[in-house]
Amino acid sequence: MRYFDSFVVPFAVGALILFAVVLWKYANWFIAMPRADKKRVARGIFSRRTAEAVGEVISESLLHRRIFRVNPLLGYMHASLAFGWFLLIAVGWIEAAAYGLTFSPLWVHVFFRWFGAHYGLEHAAVWGIDFAFVMDLLLLFVLSGVALAWAKRMRSKMMGMRKTTRHTPGDRIALSALWFIFPARLVAESLTAAIYDNGGFLTGSLGNGLLRLLGPEVTVSAEPVAWWLYSSVLCIFFVAMPFSRYMHIFTEIPLIFLRRYGITSSEKESSFDHFQVEACSRCGICIDPCQLQSQAGYDRVQSVYFLRDRRYGMLTESVAENCLMCGRCQNLCPVGIDLNTLRLNSRDTLRNTPNERRYEYLRGIDPSHGAGKVGYFAGCMTLLTPRTLQAMERIFSAAGEAVWWADREGGVCCGRPLKLAGETDSARRMMEHNTALFRKHGITTLVTSCPICLKVFKEDYDLPGIEILHHSEYLRRLLDEGRIGVEHGAESFTYHDPCELGRKGGIYEPPREVIRSVGELVEPAQTRENALCCGSSVANLAIDDRNQEKIAVAVAGHLEATGADAIVTACPLCKKAVSRGSTRPVYDLSEIVAGHLKESAPADTPQA
Amino acid sequence: MAINWGFNIARPRAVDMDANDLSITRRIMAQMPEFQACIACGSCTATCTAGNLTSFNFRRVHTLVRRGEYEGAYEEMGKCMLCGKCRLSCPRGINTRGLVMLIKRELEDK
Ligand code: SF4
Ligand code: SF4
Ligand code: SF4
Ligand code: SF4
Repeated sequence: MRYFDSFVVPFAVGALILFAVVLWKYANWFIAMPRADKKRVARGIFSRRTAEAVGEVISESLLHRRIFRVNPLLGYMHASLAFGWFLLIAVGWIEAAAYGLTFSPLWVHVFFRWFGAHYGLEHAAVWGIDFAFVMDLLLLFVLSGVALAWAKRMRSKMMGMRKTTRHTPGDRIALSALWFIFPARLVAESLTAAIYDNGGFLTGSLGNGLLRLLGPEVTVSAEPVAWWLYSSVLCIFFVAMPFSRYMHIFTEIPLIFLRRYGITSSEKESSFDHFQVEACSRCGICIDPCQLQSQAGYDRVQSVYFLRDRRYGMLTESVAENCLMCGRCQNLCPVGIDLNTLRLNSRDTLRNTPNERRYEYLRGIDPSHGAGKVGYFAGCMTLLTPRTLQAMERIFSAAGEAVWWADREGGVCCGRPLKLAGETDSARRMMEHNTALFRKHGITTLVTSCPICLKVFKEDYDLPGIEILHHSEYLRRLLDEGRIGVEHGAESFTYHDPCELGRKGGIYEPPREVIRSVGELVEPAQTRENALCCGSSVANLAIDDRNQEKIAVAVAGHLEATGADAIVTACPLCKKAVSRGSTRPVYDLSEIVAGHLKESAPADTPQA
Repeated sequence: MAINWGFNIARPRAVDMDANDLSITRRIMAQMPEFQACIACGSCTATCTAGNLTSFNFRRVHTLVRRGEYEGAYEEMGKCMLCGKCRLSCPRGINTRGLVMLIKRELEDK
């Protein structure tokens, strides 16, 4: 074999194992995917989506733009490692190609400095490019990323992160190897440069320095050792990679394509989830936004640990259940992993116990009353905040709306809390029950003041012909249409975005417009997509009372810091939770509207 | 000679803590120590969504479980909708939803 030296063997073996394992995994995951998903891939593959996916791969897998947005220094670290390494491979290949070695074995490109020198190829710049210089520059770029990675391990605060991820043994092996790959490469290339008196500004000068330090004899005998070392750390990294967090380097690519073809995770686990789980780079960006970590001191439950535990089959109920599903982490995750859905379907796997007879007692239950095209579903939590209910009553009557009250005297839960607990099939029975009631009473609009109910109505109920509105949207409509009139007062209000309504429902503007119609709105520092969670989310099945309160106090303090006279929210559960920590009054949106109603409302006779 | 009086004497409804096997109770208590703080006030039951619609009585069931009376408790707990109202009304701050799930989990494998 012409272009060969024994030191390339570890590299070649490592690379072979790496590609075999990675392809084996992807093939298995793909084969196990449901037929419908495969059809989506087939439909998408020759469409614009493929081009879009390629663009996203470049901007995310190589350049890591989303990490830049969250944390520029961290973004630079990831980009220099990923993009720098990619360029080293690409330029190395171009360089080899310039010598006519386009189709030579992989190791010739990768170790071109060695082959170039030992086979007497490297004489001058080819095609007018000074490859020695370019390659040194790229190596420096990557080494700067390695230095930052070292620094991040030593002091995560320096990188603007409070906490950095703890490692599994596989990670530790891969990470240590990764740290040594580029320094080893630098030394090996420098020694070769010293012997053959070439190399760029970096390897050339370091080589000269080493030559002076070690003397010619030691330099010559050290050179093969250095190349062996470099090849061996590459091998270790390659073999550890598919079993470590670095699996994300490749996995993000198929994930981006599959996502672009419209494949999503759902309430039941599916094979596609593997692509999401293993695309997590354990960058740890999801740790800092988590209030369970910053306020409650639960520091083993964040998405990064959840995904790790799930991936290695050691997920426990206590980790799966200890999450508010607030979506703050998902909002920042640079890989765009659907963290809430994965947490949800893990709970389904752990807890779902189909039992047809479980809710037999629901049959025939209909505690509703009133009649009208508009149905109002208070939801369990609104029944615990009767002022919201009373305010809605006043508003409906002022607007002259005929209302069917689904559950004013108690009713069947919407099913979302049960679904969030993983009891997916049982939750269906409640959904079916409520759906039948909505149909029976012939409503065309369904208003709810609970964002938890709203979400499940929109996503899991099948209600064609019924418009589903959160009361914030409904109130805005009444105001816009002039069906109710309100006095604008002098008070200032700050608004707490409920997670289920904002981040998870995309409803940010309607409640704000309603607030502005009755007073001044002051935004808290963390708002909209970045709003804090009240801490009492029904999605968290494990958090204890003390910690719920701690989070509530922190959130209330944050809202009070705006100096507003009162706090407004649009969720009965948030209202209850925030009130626990607040010294100022906390209102539901409907209360401030009802409190500012003009006596002579434009609408005529209220309903009895 | 048995005489049919048309009625008979009810067995006393006393819970015999010595006769009952409290092992499951102890496991539940160990996993949710706050449950010790329950004063059986019944707020949870008064507010209960499922209890409003049926005879399901959360306080009764969890109090019996605490005394080692497990019979029928699993099926009864199955009526809970996990809505979370009870948690918000519990004066002792007990994670009642978690308790429902915990009791079910422990009794399932009995
Ligand atoms: S879940 Fe996302 S943010 Fe968290 S460690 Fe993984 S990639 Fe990073
Ligand atoms: S969804 Fe919220 S509570 Fe759950 S891990 Fe993410 S930030 Fe933490
Ligand atoms: S409300 Fe709390 S303290 Fe009262 S009976 Fe229920 S669990 Fe026990
Ligand atoms: S969570 Fe269960 S026990 Fe508690 S109020 Fe709701 S239905 Fe009743």
